[in-house]
Amino acid sequence: MEVQTLSSPWQFTCDLEVNFESDEKAYIVYAALNVDKELQPDKVKRVMSVSNGKLAAHFEAVEARFLRASFSAFVDVLTLATRTIEEFSPEKGL
Amino acid sequence: MSKRMIALGFEGSANKIGVGVVTLDGTILSNPRHTYITPPGHGFLPRETAHHHLEHVLPLVKSALTTAGITPDDIDCLCYTKGPGMGAPLQVSAVVVRVLSQLWKKPIVGVNHCVAHIEMGRIVTGAVDPVVLYVSGGNTQVIAYSEGRYRIFGETIDIAVGNCLDRFARVLTLSNDPSPGYNIEQLAKKGENFIYLPYAVKGMDVSFSGILSYIETTAEEKLQSNECTPADLCYSLQETLFAMLVEITERAMAHCDAKDVLIVGGVGCNERLQEMMRIMCSERGGRLYSTDDRYCIDNGAMIAYTGLLAYAHGLSTPLEESIFTQRFRTDGSTCSLEGERIHQQHYKQLGKNHNYVRYAVL
Repeated sequence: MEVQTLSSPWQFTCDLEVNFESDEKAYIVYAALNVDKELQPDKVKRVMSVSNGKLAAHFEAVEARFLRASFSAFVDVLTLATRTIEEFSPEKGL
Repeated sequence: MSKRMIALGFEGSANKIGVGVVTLDGTILSNPRHTYITPPGHGFLPRETAHHHLEHVLPLVKSALTTAGITPDDIDCLCYTKGPGMGAPLQVSAVVVRVLSQLWKKPIVGVNHCVAHIEMGRIVTGAVDPVVLYVSGGNTQVIAYSEGRYRIFGETIDIAVGNCLDRFARVLTLSNDPSPGYNIEQLAKKGENFIYLPYAVKGMDVSFSGILSYIETTAEEKLQSNECTPADLCYSLQETLFAMLVEITERAMAHCDAKDVLIVGGVGCNERLQEMMRIMCSERGGRLYSTDDRYCIDNGAMIAYTGLLAYAHGLSTPLEESIFTQRFRTDGSTCSLEGERIHQQHYKQLGKNHNYVRYAVL
């Protein structure tokens, strides 16, 4: 996390990258989490992308507490989506 | 014989997380669930409840599949509660379904929680055209089916009846295991004195928050002065709340010319409520349909069954639209197509000139 010194109101930013080692898996998580928009778009922005088997999420917020709340909730569902893939991927021969 | 249609359903709108497997004829192949139980005196909050669901949802999926004896290949659609309910807990089911849908290449069906309670109650009891009383911790509605949707005839104007009971259980610091309402019901059986409480029926609607405030403020002094026992208070609260529910249900029956009542929702497994409603129904020459805690308390099978009905009629929810929403009215957008079919038959039998309007928006 870092605090930008620019005069933009989106002072608080944070980046997260998860390596799924597969574009397909990264995209599954991307598609699952991209459905839910940020609840306060005037206070927190979230942008996600997929490349080289990695899911990247970039957060910008006007206050640290919004960034923290949004990031924390995101990590919860990201972990859930990842665990769902790990446990129920057809590759596991379920 | 053609293959049975099978749905996997996820429910997690409140403090229960459940995953169920059902077939189109309503057979429940499995229906495991786990309840988030808070310490006495405490309610459940969104964040903590969501964490509970995060922890239990995947083991429940495994258990549901194993018990049902099916593999993901056998599933026709994945159903989840779209709303109404608490946001963070709802998101857990939605996220799992979105991932599984992509992994297993299965369509998604978003389901209205309230409609699911009604559909489950109908398939389990076989009730044809009942007035439905839907009573739970989050909802209190008197519903009847008319012209393609479930219509709300009366409802609470503030808190749900189950919320009133749950919060009173916190005043007495009763256990939340298995549920606060169950423990109030057991204690109420020992009540001997009826304590007067406000009675708040407003036309077709009911109000519970004033009754709760009244009993919250008077309980302590009445108990301290030995005017009554906790059992008397539980008994009096149940009698008052349930009398109100029976009154508005009876009024809805008069409106719709219906004889039968179906009770669904978590409070629906209260045997005293069932008894009071049964008496009223029998006086009107009808009967009461009710279910036990396996079906009337939130569960995955009710979502699976309702979603499968919609899917069998060609409806599904694209991944990009598989949102969840805290507010979602019973009469808002979802229509029960199976309900419509049954009702069409029913009205034909009655020989009524019924002008049918079809709403098929999910």
